[in-house]
Amino acid sequence: MRREIDFMGKSKIFITLSLILISVSLVSIFTKGFNFGVEFTGGSEIVVRFENVKITETDIRSAISQISDEFATARIVQVRSVGDPANVLKYSIVVPKTYEPDEKQRVQKELERLLPGKVVSFNEISGTAAEEIKRGTWTAILVALVVLLIYITVRFRFVFGVAAIVALIHDVLITMGFFSIFGYEINVAAVAAFLTLLGYSLNDTIVLSDRIRENMRRYRGRSMINIVNMSINQVLARTINTSLTTFFVVFVLLLFAGSAVKPFAFGMTIGTVVGTYSSLYVVSPIVVKWSK
Amino acid sequence: MRGDRVRFVIVLIVLVGALLALFWPSKKGWTSNIRLGLDIKGGARIEYLVEVEEGTENPSDVVDDVWTILRNRLDAAGYTEASVKKVFRENKSYIVVEIPGATDTVQAERLIGSTGVLYFAQVLDEYNGEDPYKVPELSFEAKREKATWLKGRNGKWYLVKKEIMGRKDLVLEAPRIVYARPEVETRTGRYGYKVSFELAKEYVEKFKKITQALYVPEGTYDPKRRLAIVLDNVVQFAGQVVAIITDGKAEITGNFSLEEAKQLAAILRSGALPARLVKTSSGWVAPLLGRDVVDASLKAGIVGLILVLAYMLIYYRTMGIVADLALIYNTILLLGVMAAGKFILTLPGIAGIILTIGTTVDGNVIIYERIKEEMRSGKPVKTSIAAGFDRSLSTILDANITTILTGLILYYFGTGTIKGFAITLIIGVLGSMFVSLVFSRLLLDGLAPLIRSPRVEEAQGGSKR
Repeated sequence: MRREIDFMGKSKIFITLSLILISVSLVSIFTKGFNFGVEFTGGSEIVVRFENVKITETDIRSAISQISDEFATARIVQVRSVGDPANVLKYSIVVPKTYEPDEKQRVQKELERLLPGKVVSFNEISGTAAEEIKRGTWTAILVALVVLLIYITVRFRFVFGVAAIVALIHDVLITMGFFSIFGYEINVAAVAAFLTLLGYSLNDTIVLSDRIRENMRRYRGRSMINIVNMSINQVLARTINTSLTTFFVVFVLLLFAGSAVKPFAFGMTIGTVVGTYSSLYVVSPIVVKWSK
Repeated sequence: MRGDRVRFVIVLIVLVGALLALFWPSKKGWTSNIRLGLDIKGGARIEYLVEVEEGTENPSDVVDDVWTILRNRLDAAGYTEASVKKVFRENKSYIVVEIPGATDTVQAERLIGSTGVLYFAQVLDEYNGEDPYKVPELSFEAKREKATWLKGRNGKWYLVKKEIMGRKDLVLEAPRIVYARPEVETRTGRYGYKVSFELAKEYVEKFKKITQALYVPEGTYDPKRRLAIVLDNVVQFAGQVVAIITDGKAEITGNFSLEEAKQLAAILRSGALPARLVKTSSGWVAPLLGRDVVDASLKAGIVGLILVLAYMLIYYRTMGIVADLALIYNTILLLGVMAAGKFILTLPGIAGIILTIGTTVDGNVIIYERIKEEMRSGKPVKTSIAAGFDRSLSTILDANITTILTGLILYYFGTGTIKGFAITLIIGVLGSMFVSLVFSRLLLDGLAPLIRSPRVEEAQGGSKR
């Protein structure tokens, strides 16, 4: 055997770390909340593109507040992707309202009259549609959790399933915490990131569970701690290589990709780190404790 | 090795298939083989909830009618490249209109939101060519007859007049139609389908007078006495009245195909839109914006890919070459399937492709680590490879099936672009399994002589590799 790292011996420290991270996340989620995209709140998002003009959020706000009350309170965020030419600025203006065709044309004209830029996208989602998207998203996450729990229980044992789900909830909570802390927008792409994250985190957990199961058969009589430790060490190279390569990909995506994909890349970047960590330090203690 | 020969043939066939799908010559060059979502190429998308009145017998027929009417309206207004889709979600029906390249949704929204009017009219003349109002005699003729040139669905122009035979009491506008349906043509000498319809009681008398006024005996032809059905200012149909209809039950014959007959029936049923349309979302992306994002994402993909390729090469040496080739192979495969299956590539879809890089690497890493373990225990390279594949099979299956399950759930519950992501994810994961188990196996067997065995480890010693 190669040098063994005693993962289980340090599990107390890591459980404490996880608990701290989760608490911080929960505090931020409940105090600061999320920056939800229009898909979840309903309303209109208008992106205005400026070329060769220096303009700030404040300039835009004071200009557009003339249009109507909604625009005085609009959320204005600069959107930027690395691929943009240096002389291009883009701002997203979000108002909690949808428009009739004629009104929309008027708003668009007003914006282009008041601002030295061009409207390049105008998206509106009605309140009911937003409700539906929200409901669909929650259903998707819940259904995914249940289906995965059933799959693992069938393929492995219930305890592995429970451990995997705990790890998943751990990962999702912490990733959501990061979204809240950094104020990243939660849009539909971010939800896709969460669900991929579920699959990814699970992937890690399954590779480990698979090895633990195999070693339990091969080394009957050894203590569970010993087996889990040995298994983690055996899959460690794989875990690190896979996580590292996935991390490269999503991190580069986070740096380069445009605003629409950014929340996805952010979620995945945090997710790969937290997911790897949780499969090593969250899953194993649960399996060990439960199997005693 | 027979197994390898089979693998070689499969790998080759799949590769050729993928390349063919990707590079099959088309007018616009190879990129047009992959269909791009509106969020990438720019365009408008409007989604409506179809509110069918409660108690309607066949709600899905109503949705079909709405679809036909909208399709006709968009065609008539020149939005021929628009797509109209019926979508069913959570027990509700939606109609999604997508117009590639459109720079706003306002025109289309106005067009769709308008309540169309169906009326019967008399055809006075017809004309085959460009705008008749640009031809002095024709526009003069319209003025003289107090009639209007309207375009027909068949592309011809018709001079129509609502007041049949000039009589104000013979105007039949927005009649209620009890039923209208396609029927098989049974009379000899004719084939295909006809459309039969019945007018509601209150219109029977007027319709009888109209048919009396326009009646021409069968076999004769009077171009100035034809009856037109006009919807949304488009002449949907124009034909001779060959019988006086006294009971409001009429037939339109014309050797229609089933599709034509269905459409005509739907148009008749539709005086106006048969259901309320509630706009649930609408939006458009300027092509400019989409291109910015794609450029950035592509750059990210290429940089990420290069990093991963380099890492695998450094860490696994010979086996790293296999992993790198597997990665490239799977990317080609994914794009090929996207092209062949006519799946739409959306922005989250690009993210899905990039993620595929991760899962492909994972499959290979799982296998390589097993192979290394086998080699460390002293087995020869060839045996280690076979054992490594056997023992990692269940891990790879479990790991990927869970991802596919997530993908399916995303596809089922997701909307719009998320579906695009789920599709690339599922295809990518299936591909990565194929690549890990078949492609990599083939290459590893071939490269076996080049793979160096790590030092054999003593039973319980503490040495590293």
